[in-house]
Amino acid sequence: MKPILFPFFLTLIAALLWAGCATPARRIEAGGRDNITTVGHIDTQDFITAADASVNKLLASGALDRVPKPPAILAVSVIRNETGHQFDTDLLTKKIRVKLNTSGKALTTTTVGLGGKAEDPLAKELGTELPHAPDFTLSGKIIETRAKAGNVRQSTFSFQLSLTDNRGLALWEGEEEITKQGSRATVGF
Amino acid sequence: MNASPVNILFGACLLGGSLVFTGCQTSVNTVSREPPAQRQMVTDKRVLTDASLGRKVYVIGVAEAPTPGGVLQIQVEVWNRTRSPQRFNYWFEWFDSNGMQVNPTSTAMIPCTLEGGETRLLSSVAPTPLCKDFRIKFIEARN
Repeated sequence: MKPILFPFFLTLIAALLWAGCATPARRIEAGGRDNITTVGHIDTQDFITAADASVNKLLASGALDRVPKPPAILAVSVIRNETGHQFDTDLLTKKIRVKLNTSGKALTTTTVGLGGKAEDPLAKELGTELPHAPDFTLSGKIIETRAKAGNVRQSTFSFQLSLTDNRGLALWEGEEEITKQGSRATVGF
Repeated sequence: MNASPVNILFGACLLGGSLVFTGCQTSVNTVSREPPAQRQMVTDKRVLTDASLGRKVYVIGVAEAPTPGGVLQIQVEVWNRTRSPQRFNYWFEWFDSNGMQVNPTSTAMIPCTLEGGETRLLSSVAPTPLCKDFRIKFIEARN
C-alpha cells in the first residue's frame, strides 16, 4: 500500500467509528423512562406528572360535584408562567382539560375567555350560548426556585392552581412541586 | 508513628469507607396509632420479574375507598426493607368494568425515593367513575 493512502484509510475508519457511536434518532414514549431529564427546565414528563396529580386531587376533593346541574362548566382563566423560561402554559392546562373532560365531572367552555377573548372565535360568532354561566374558573401560576451547591444545581417548579366558584370563592386549591437535581441533563429517570 | 504514603492512603480509604457506610445506613423510625384505622384492603395478585426490587421495595398491601366525588381511590403501602435509600419509579393503570384500559395516553412514571426502613402510601385516583380495576407497576430507577 502506498504511504499516501494511509491518511485516507485512517479518516475513513475514524468516520465509521464516529457514525457507529452516534445515537440514531428514534421515537420514544412520552413520559416514559427514556425521556431526557433536565435540571433547569420543565420536561414533558413534569407537565404530565403535574397535570395528573392536580386532577387526581381535584377529583378526589369532590369540589366539581358541588354544582346544581352536573357536569360542572369550567372556564380556564390565566395560568401565569413566572419561571425564567418561555413555554406555552397550554402544555399544562390542555392536559388538565383533557383529563377533566374524560372524567365526566366537568366540561370546559371554549367561548368564554379573559377580556372577551374566546378560544374558539367562530363558535362565539355563531352565537353558541352556554346553558348557564360557568360554574368555575381555573387559574394559577408556575413558579421556579433555584439553588446551587458546587456543580450540583437544583430546580423546584411549583404548579399552583385555584378553582374559583361563581361567588368568587376558591373552592379548591392545589400545589404540585417537582424538584430536580443534578449537574447535567440525562436520559431516563 | 510511621506516616508512610501507604499508611496515609490506607487511613483515608478506611475513613472514606466508614463515612460512606454510615451515610447509607440511615433509616427511618416510625410511630403510629395502635390499632391503626381500619382500611378496606384489596386481595392482590403479584407478578415479580425483578426479584431484587421486589425484595427491597415490598408491597405491604393495597387499600381502596371511594372519594367524596365518587371515584375510586387506591393506596398502595410500600416498605423499603433495606437500610439504604431505594429509588424506583411507579405508575398506575386503570380499567373499566369490562377490563378495558381507560385513558392510557399521557401518563408519566412517578419517581419515588424511600429512605431505609421507610413505609409510604402511593395513591392514585381513578380518572373516571367508570374505573373499577387498576394495576400498579414498579421499576428500578435508572440513574
